[in-house]
Amino acid sequence: MFFSLLPLVWVVALSLFNYSPRREGAGIGGLGGDNPFVGLDNFKQLFDFSNPSLLSQTFQTSLKVTLIFAFIVLPLNLVITLPLAVMIESVARRLRPLLRTIFFMPVLTSAVAVAVIWQYVLNPQYGLANGLLTKITGHTQIISWLNDPSLTVLGIPVALIAITVAYLWMDIGYNLVIFIAALQGIPRSLTEASLLDGANAWQRFRFVTLPLLKPTIMLAAVLTMISSFQAFDLFQVMTKGGPDNQSRVLSLDIYENAFTFQSMGWAAAESLVLLVIVLLITLVQTRMLRTKWSY
Amino acid sequence: MAVLPALETRPVEESAVAVVKPPRRGVSFGRVTLYVLLGVAGVVAALPFFWMVFGAFKTGEEIRQIPPTFLPQQWTLSNFRTILDDPTLPLTTFYKNSLFVAVINVILTLFTASLLGFIFAKYRFRGRQFLFWYLMALMMVPTSVLMIPNYLILSHLGLLNNLWGLIVTALIDPFAVFVMRQFIMSVPDEQIESARIDGASEFRIYRSVVLPQVKPALATLGLLTFMFNWNAYLWPLIVLQQNDKRTIPVILTWYSTQHDSQLNLVMAASVLLVLPVLVFFLFTQRWIVTGLTLTGGK
Repeated sequence: MFFSLLPLVWVVALSLFNYSPRREGAGIGGLGGDNPFVGLDNFKQLFDFSNPSLLSQTFQTSLKVTLIFAFIVLPLNLVITLPLAVMIESVARRLRPLLRTIFFMPVLTSAVAVAVIWQYVLNPQYGLANGLLTKITGHTQIISWLNDPSLTVLGIPVALIAITVAYLWMDIGYNLVIFIAALQGIPRSLTEASLLDGANAWQRFRFVTLPLLKPTIMLAAVLTMISSFQAFDLFQVMTKGGPDNQSRVLSLDIYENAFTFQSMGWAAAESLVLLVIVLLITLVQTRMLRTKWSY
Repeated sequence: MAVLPALETRPVEESAVAVVKPPRRGVSFGRVTLYVLLGVAGVVAALPFFWMVFGAFKTGEEIRQIPPTFLPQQWTLSNFRTILDDPTLPLTTFYKNSLFVAVINVILTLFTASLLGFIFAKYRFRGRQFLFWYLMALMMVPTSVLMIPNYLILSHLGLLNNLWGLIVTALIDPFAVFVMRQFIMSVPDEQIESARIDGASEFRIYRSVVLPQVKPALATLGLLTFMFNWNAYLWPLIVLQQNDKRTIPVILTWYSTQHDSQLNLVMAASVLLVLPVLVFFLFTQRWIVTGLTLTGGK
């Protein structure tokens, strides 16, 4: 427990210095000397929008990409998992474990393997995606899903969308099992009562199931959001942030600045921004969960 | 319940028992649509797995065919042989590395989590509340925040490029402590008291009274921890810089950049990474799913 306090103090200290492990430095942990104290300069630069340096521009781009990513992932995830959970719960009892397993398997799969598999699916020449498109359209398709900076849909780069698809494939199993468990917790008497009242399937979902699931949905939404803000593996393996930084997320930018370019002071400041975002989401969560839910 | 729109169409005072049986028509249009939709969704979800497995059995020539084939026209095992026999990157080394880290981390996590969980659940001491909330707050701190100072700490300790570096930084898992505390709270205080009166030491109480009662929780947590360590990427990528020290996920990315055009080899390697775990966890799935739903996911 006390091990954990040291890194936290250290990361805050680092963010106030222009620190690189390449330089000798002075004082405790090499902070000082030719790793000078810069106060809040790192943070000022991070949010300098009027005259940003190249580093600040990259950070700002990565922050934007992360926000876009997180805000596409959340609604898509819920729109897929909620109906899917309800559907799985309404088929024959024997089929349910099989279906659940199929959708849950990607959760157990290493993210690196997921990335490598999807790279192969999306490979311009040998991939499944273009192969299927070629079959359907009758023309040979060589779409470069992960590398063509000129491809966008509704202003969102296709590379980012492609990673989002892979991410959703990997991630929906979590919320699915959580929702299935919550659905099983709904008393049968309630759904039966609405059946007696003549409610159809949609009405049952909208007016009985959905309100009862609300706390679970809130919790799942927050967890999904927090983890999508920290997504790293798929981005690092599938695109390395490319093309043209279109899929550079915050955690990737932090990683590269800290370990490729060794600018650890800067990266520490960036990581604290990420921490603040995650803490803010958590704060909103506890607020929402504290609300009393009654039916 | 006032939101229900169809209240007034309720069947009037019939024998309620008779109506409770939901009206099950034979094959309705809705049911067929439901099954078709789920079938399509299931196939789409499973497709990338099949694509990986089939790719692993294709020859180098076939995998570079345009347009691509779906099923291998000629099944071959040579990809697996090439990978397993690779003289510079023997996969067995990485299996050993991955297993070493995962197994030790499971044991240590279970030990520290159950001990701390016991302390937080059953002891009253000053600052307990504060320490517990501090630990819970730590759960929220992203890896990206801790990785920089932890890297510097390991470099001071000389544990970079060392598998033990992945172990000392994983000693205490706040999430696991939280889960164990929840479970241990349900162990009756009377049992602990009577063991104490019988002269059992505190550690003995932990081992003989508490642990046996939380075995299911330990099993679930062990599985989750194993999975988490086996699949971990970012932290091992930073700590392990020499190829022969690396764990399987890290080596897989290296492999895929080395053999960019030999996708059949890359797929064979990912099958070897994914399949053992997948098969193992298919049998233990019930535990994992229970664990996840119980704790609201990790």
